[in-house]
Amino acid sequence: MAVEEKVDLDDVRKEEILALDAKVASNNLFEFLGVPSGASADEVRAAFREASRKFHPDKYFGKNLGSFRGKLDRIFKRLVEANQTLSDPEKREVYLAANPFVRAAARATTNTNAAFKPEARTETEEARDSERRQRLARHPYLAKATKVQEYLSKAKEHVGRQEYSQAVTHLNNAAQIDPLHAEVKAMMIEVRKGADLVRSESSFKHALEALNRGDEELALQALKTAVNANPLNFKAAHKTSMLLERRGDAREAASFALKAVEAAPRNVEFRVHLARLLGEAGMKAMAKKHFDEAVRIDPDHPEVKKHGKKLWPF
Amino acid sequence: MAEREPVIGIDLGTTNSVVATVQSGAPLVIRGRSGSNLMPSVIALARSGKLLVGQIAKRQAITNPTDTVYASKRLIGRKFSSQQMQEALKGLPYVIEPGEHDDIKVKLGDKQYSLPELSGLVLRELKLDAEAHFGRTVKKAIITVPAYFNDGQRQATKDAGRIAGLEVLRIINEPTAAALAYGFGKNINGKIAVFDLGGGTFDISVMEIGNGVFDVIATGGDTFLGGEDFDNAVIEWLAADFEKEHGITLKKDRMALQRLKDAAEKAKIELSTARETQVNLPFISTPTGGGSALHLQKTLTRDKLEQLTATLVERTITLCEQVLTEAKVKPVDLREMILVGGMTRMPRVQESVKAYFRRDPCKGVHPEEVVALGAAVQAEALTNEASDVVLLDVTPQSLGVAIAGGYVRRLIPKNTTVPTSVTEVFNTSRDNQTTVKIMVLQGESDVAHQNELLGEFILTGLRLAKRGEVEIDVIFDINSEGLVSVAARDRETGQQQSIQVTASGGLTQDELKKILEDQADLMLEARVEEEVKTKRLELKSLMNEVGELMPQLQQATQGSEFGQDALGKALKALEQARLAGESAELKKVTDSIDTLTRTVSLFRGVLQRIGR
Ligand SMILES: Nc1ncnc2c1ncn2[C@@H]1O[C@H](COP(=O)(O)OP(=O)(O)OP(=O)(O)O)[C@@H](O)[C@H]1O
Ligand SMILES: [Mg+2]
Repeated sequence: MAVEEKVDLDDVRKEEILALDAKVASNNLFEFLGVPSGASADEVRAAFREASRKFHPDKYFGKNLGSFRGKLDRIFKRLVEANQTLSDPEKREVYLAANPFVRAAARATTNTNAAFKPEARTETEEARDSERRQRLARHPYLAKATKVQEYLSKAKEHVGRQEYSQAVTHLNNAAQIDPLHAEVKAMMIEVRKGADLVRSESSFKHALEALNRGDEELALQALKTAVNANPLNFKAAHKTSMLLERRGDAREAASFALKAVEAAPRNVEFRVHLARLLGEAGMKAMAKKHFDEAVRIDPDHPEVKKHGKKLWPF
Repeated sequence: MAEREPVIGIDLGTTNSVVATVQSGAPLVIRGRSGSNLMPSVIALARSGKLLVGQIAKRQAITNPTDTVYASKRLIGRKFSSQQMQEALKGLPYVIEPGEHDDIKVKLGDKQYSLPELSGLVLRELKLDAEAHFGRTVKKAIITVPAYFNDGQRQATKDAGRIAGLEVLRIINEPTAAALAYGFGKNINGKIAVFDLGGGTFDISVMEIGNGVFDVIATGGDTFLGGEDFDNAVIEWLAADFEKEHGITLKKDRMALQRLKDAAEKAKIELSTARETQVNLPFISTPTGGGSALHLQKTLTRDKLEQLTATLVERTITLCEQVLTEAKVKPVDLREMILVGGMTRMPRVQESVKAYFRRDPCKGVHPEEVVALGAAVQAEALTNEASDVVLLDVTPQSLGVAIAGGYVRRLIPKNTTVPTSVTEVFNTSRDNQTTVKIMVLQGESDVAHQNELLGEFILTGLRLAKRGEVEIDVIFDINSEGLVSVAARDRETGQQQSIQVTASGGLTQDELKKILEDQADLMLEARVEEEVKTKRLELKSLMNEVGELMPQLQQATQGSEFGQDALGKALKALEQARLAGESAELKKVTDSIDTLTRTVSLFRGVLQRIGR
């Protein structure tokens, strides 16, 4: 939930956790770790250690963290993933290949620093690289490897154009040939994430169309799929909540309203909506907390003014 | 004095176990009631039917070989049918039987014991030692395991803690614990290596310490490489020679085997200081066809010992090379090299380590006690807000699932910081398929059956759909203790999928429950007795405290009427306490505790007001 939840954490830490948790689903691992895009492996590792001092679950052993426990867990695991991915050259390369936008950002930052950077590749590294290429060439599965590479590069092209379902098809082909291929596997994960985002958007669109046709049943199903595929799709969550409310399912409506607020904590309209649903369900204390938070964010917001009177008596 | 609840750290070793705590800000080993810091991890069933644990069990081993269990840590959490087990079983004087799901049972008398029960007995003894030290019940503990222990071995160790009546706060890795103790109270920045060669296992870990963060970079080891193997090498040598000379296989005779083992270890330890030693085992065997008893008498030199165990020492160095490579660290990059485990007292081991790491190992670390001290430090860090220590440990072995063709798909590579989780998507491969079976494996081989099978998970109740249409997210999670769990949900509907787990090796949930219940019955009686015991300890420490305060108070009150009165009452209370202590009646004891607690606070109050 949010800052007002009564747990064994001070407000600053709560804010930090909320802010970072909102970024968990984002694809930019550099940003998540709080380092410049393209930061070196050492910088990444140092940032990870520093973040651990704040966000390692052990720091809060035996404490009552309420909903923050799950967030903290999620954050730490994502930090581990970011560190593991960006401090290992191979994994980093795969990740960048699957996320062209991040690569572009990384290029931009490192290029500005290029003048200060010593020659990055040493002779031994060059030697090792060429040795690796030779070793690969001797490998009996070379033919297989070439085929996998072809599928991979096709998949990458599609990723570049954000055509995830096509990318998945190519990656599936590659996985058929070589189920243990690390890059294929890693890319599959990234692509699935992208595909989820796209799916969430398109389901949302279908839902709106269905609503226009008056098919609420179908719209509701599509909306839930949209929220499921991307919990941060706050538009879909909010819409689901409104629809459920209209259909008289207040309890479920509140749970989706909560999702909308979690995905977009600073959206006043969502908050007021949640507060109203909670109030109607008799959960006055929680309703008050959310309304207060809405007032805190923007006291002049029309929604706040509109419902203020009705909600004040708490 | 409102004291915090005591927490302890336990090093549950193959050969020795140690319990420690943090007191007044410093870690210290709790001396056992038998007067020693190390407790042998030995359990025995005495002729009288009583279970013995520790020193007393070790002492009677030679006369009671079949009913004395040592090195049980080598068996915990393992499968009966595994290759390593079958090998190991050949050299054990006590009796091993397969359990119901390929787990291992030890037979003592006419009863079978699971490994967690046996380790539980050792832990229980340490718990009692700690309670004697604190004069009150102790529940919360951290228990250490070799870094290279897999999920099953960790789970079983945790079960052992629960059976001993402990609340296991955490399972942590031995080398990491050692590093914590080493780094305690120092401001260290840099990379270190911990080389831990104990009685049963070998661990090597490389970590970086900075600002109170202990970040494990890589870890490796072998859970079947330790002092036991050095002893076995000596036993083999002694037995082979004897067989050549007399045509008798000593190892078949359990009594002789136990004596050989004893002598081998003793000789090995002596050779750490002496250049040669005598092995003397009179009447080791009587020829079957009659004739006079045979004696075994041999000289073992340090050179010979080193020759017999050269491959073992080499193996430790090979593993060091491997782990340093994985950590991308060269020996010169290391700031310090820490030796842990009794076997590192062997000169040959020290020389090899020195040669490989090109430095002298860190002085001032007690190889047998440092792990328990570190566990205590971590227990304190977890329960004490003020602590600045963060442990970033890793999973020692890769986690994967079996895929078509008998291969493995690796999901979480080894040396990944924990806690961590990864989501893998599984598809149905047939139309209207309602179940998917997932085999979870731990290990480094690409071939499925060469890894350790952690368990089989069956996803059930999948919705009916065309093949490939049902996509299930399966979330694999490794927690801070290195324990693995699995959850699943349908990607399309978000619905949680139920998972069925088939345990292998360890105790099932039901078995654990049953053990705990059986124990609860037995313990109902025992508990009252136990409670009296701990209360009596509490009473005793209060009596001491009052005794210490009395002369101070006498001096402070200078024979005033009030003082005389108070002292008189205190004397009476002490006498009553003494009688209560002897009576062993719970009510009397607790009453006395109340009286004495009041006396202590009164005395302290007076002394404080007078300004002493
Ligand atoms: N001076 C010595 N020289 C050689 N070996 C020794 C010496 N002292 C103890 N050992 C050996 O060290 C081993 C016990 O070491 P330690 O107590 O560290 O092991 P442990 O913690 O019980 O085992 P593990 O950590 O493997 O579970 C035994 O094999 C013992 O024989
Ligand atoms: Mg040990």
